Amino acid sequence: MTPPNDPNPSTGSGDTTLTGAPAFTFEHADAAPHDAASANATKPRRPRHPILRVEHLRVSFPSPNGGRRVQAADGVSLTVFPQQTLAVVGESGSGKSVSALSCLQLIPTPPGKYDGGNILWKWDPGSESKTSKPDAERSEAPDRPPSASAKSASASGGPHYVNLRNFREKDMRAVRGNQIAMIFQEPMTSLNPVYTVGDQIREAIMLHRKVNTSAATDIAAQALKDVGIADPLSRLKSYPHQASGGMRQRFMIAMALACEPRLLLADEPTTALDVTIQAQILELLRHLQHEQGMAVMLITHDLGVVAENADVVAVMFAGRVVECADVHTLFTHPLHPYTRGLLASMPVLGKHQGRLPNVMDGATIPEDLPPGYTVQPHDPTLNPVGGYGGPNAKLHEVQPHHWLLCEKEGDDANTKGAVPELAFYR
Amino acid sequence: MTDAAAPEPVTPDAAGASAVPRRSRSFSGRVLYTLLGRWGARVAAVWIGLVALLAVAAPLLANSHPIAFFDGDVWTSPMLRHLTPTDVLLLVVSLAALVLWPLHMLSAKARRRIWLGLIVVTALAVYVFPGVHPPEAVVFSQYREALAENPDARAVHTLIPFSPTDRLRDLPDRRLAEPDATHRLGTTQFGEDMASRMIHACRIALAIGFIATGIAVVIGVVVGGLMGYFSGVVDLIGMRLVEIFAAIPVIFILIMIVAFYGRNLYLIMVVIGLFGWVGYAEFTRAEFLKLRRLDFVQAAIALGVPLRSVLFRHMLPNGLTPVVVTASFGIAGAILTESTLSFLGLGLVEEPSWGQLLNQARDMGGGFYWWLAWPPGLAIFLTVFAYNLIGEALRDAIDPRTQKQKASPA
Repeated sequence: MTPPNDPNPSTGSGDTTLTGAPAFTFEHADAAPHDAASANATKPRRPRHPILRVEHLRVSFPSPNGGRRVQAADGVSLTVFPQQTLAVVGESGSGKSVSALSCLQLIPTPPGKYDGGNILWKWDPGSESKTSKPDAERSEAPDRPPSASAKSASASGGPHYVNLRNFREKDMRAVRGNQIAMIFQEPMTSLNPVYTVGDQIREAIMLHRKVNTSAATDIAAQALKDVGIADPLSRLKSYPHQASGGMRQRFMIAMALACEPRLLLADEPTTALDVTIQAQILELLRHLQHEQGMAVMLITHDLGVVAENADVVAVMFAGRVVECADVHTLFTHPLHPYTRGLLASMPVLGKHQGRLPNVMDGATIPEDLPPGYTVQPHDPTLNPVGGYGGPNAKLHEVQPHHWLLCEKEGDDANTKGAVPELAFYR
Repeated sequence: MTDAAAPEPVTPDAAGASAVPRRSRSFSGRVLYTLLGRWGARVAAVWIGLVALLAVAAPLLANSHPIAFFDGDVWTSPMLRHLTPTDVLLLVVSLAALVLWPLHMLSAKARRRIWLGLIVVTALAVYVFPGVHPPEAVVFSQYREALAENPDARAVHTLIPFSPTDRLRDLPDRRLAEPDATHRLGTTQFGEDMASRMIHACRIALAIGFIATGIAVVIGVVVGGLMGYFSGVVDLIGMRLVEIFAAIPVIFILIMIVAFYGRNLYLIMVVIGLFGWVGYAEFTRAEFLKLRRLDFVQAAIALGVPLRSVLFRHMLPNGLTPVVVTASFGIAGAILTESTLSFLGLGLVEEPSWGQLLNQARDMGGGFYWWLAWPPGLAIFLTVFAYNLIGEALRDAIDPRTQKQKASPA
């Protein structure tokens, strides 16, 4: 089965005005060598293309009191490169989870609704052996802008992207678990209480690989061993309620990784665990990521976790990415007022601080922005949920490899803004 | 790092789980363990087991055809000769279950497979090839007459030497006889032996309960599951359907059906099932509405599990608890409905059922025959009571966990 000669299935929805937007300049990622911040990067191979590219994703939910629909994701743009850890931070309701769930089409529709945007997934020819290639994107998106696709095809040449938003449920099932896996926040409830751990891991394996039960048991046992569980064969026969929280999260990770996905969406994987177990789980994730060479999208609101694990950080607020940079830059030179407030409200170990500042109190407008860029202060009376900046605010690369949601002088209000691409590895 | 040898590390929910025995037992296993620890449920299980035993072994216990018969030349077994295909199937399957149950060297799955395979093979052998063919013309009196005429004839009779439909026409008038040495529970107005009819009626009591409730549970779970999972418009339409069906009185529908289509046991079962699923649908819907937002369901979807499997493999076993409890009450209800129908004279004619026997306890002239009233009355009461006891115990066996979970945040 040959892929269609169109590597850029940009959109199926007419409301996105992508034509001419700089969103399709894939060569950006490797355009410039990284600066001092990435001096310690010794990776021999620098991937040119992201494996996941979320473009201006908009998801809304009905308001509980019947008012306007709440825009849970209001133009989220993210990219994840192979083997990279992208941390998505933000407060509750900032759209972190919605963005991740959208990647797997796990948002229930209705009540949720995809209002626009694309979720482009780099289709790996190697993964076709594992599952048959869905032909969803071939038949759909008849209104695809031909110019954009032609441009992208000539510009990138290599990678073939599929738009997961156009995937039907049947095709999506081949992606879920197999190419993109997800682990959830609450290990206590993430495992089915009526089946043994072995049953559940085996089911995950047998869904995506053509193996019989005994072979699946071997793979499952190996997966449990990989996540550091002693005596995996007897553990396979145990029920979830017989294991502790940390162990259950290990089971979840084993289940998610048994099919060797290329991207793991970890939705606050350690929030429900105590600190020592949390460190173990994160260490384990890092180790497995190294071994299997997968990318991780780590959703969290714990800045400590971010600092220790992430390559690139995207800060979200009110359904938008407000700032996106590599982890060093973000922690040393935060530019966005919300990021500054977030960092200011973080307690420092060993320092007597008294009352910690509120996020909004700590939010200060940066003075060192390049000329022409402005960040509007947050005005809760004017815009209670809309966050910073007016409708014209877009993500701009204000400094090399540092993206900020701000307004640019003389910017065209009708364009969508670029998608941040940071092929950075710590 | 938790040690694999220690089966239960201290976890936030360890306190909640400590009420259940600490062994590698499945949820259903734990419920059964707690259930049978209660004397009420144990007594109920014994009674239902007894009814089931009587139902399965009815032709071996009450039969006009002797187990063994010697006509002066050869020994034959008229009882075996007259077994119907259903009798044979029931006997083989029950025997297999009894033999396989204690065989612990086989896994539960293997035992279940052997048993199911045996059902299929026996059913094929009994009904299709080569088949069991009892004689079409049954003459109940032939062995009694042969014994009376031939001094060499010998017979080994069953415990009660009368078939339920044997009207004893060859004997002096035995109609409406009070209990005595020959007829331990007396005879009916047609001269049939009451004890024999009681034993054979167990079959209908069990069958009607399980088949009618089974039909209702299947319909209710599927409809309720879809309603709960999809919610929205599906739920709206489904709930209106539920309300329509909840408004239809089953007993009147049954009377109408019997009036139009005649007295057919299977039709009665199907109708009771078709109009009794509303409760199960509501319970399943409520459970699924709760379950579909739980992480393990989301996790299953995120793993690429197909919808059918998510609904019925992952969600259903977790939401079946109230359905199982209600079903045990439903079985009791179905038995009562059939008894009511039979009592009204709209049930079966030839085949015995408890309600029909109860109906025969009074006649048109206003007569009342006490020996025809108490056995079926007591049997109906005890069976319905037993199913209710089991339902209650099942609810309690499942409850402690949910109660503790509810109590902990408060």
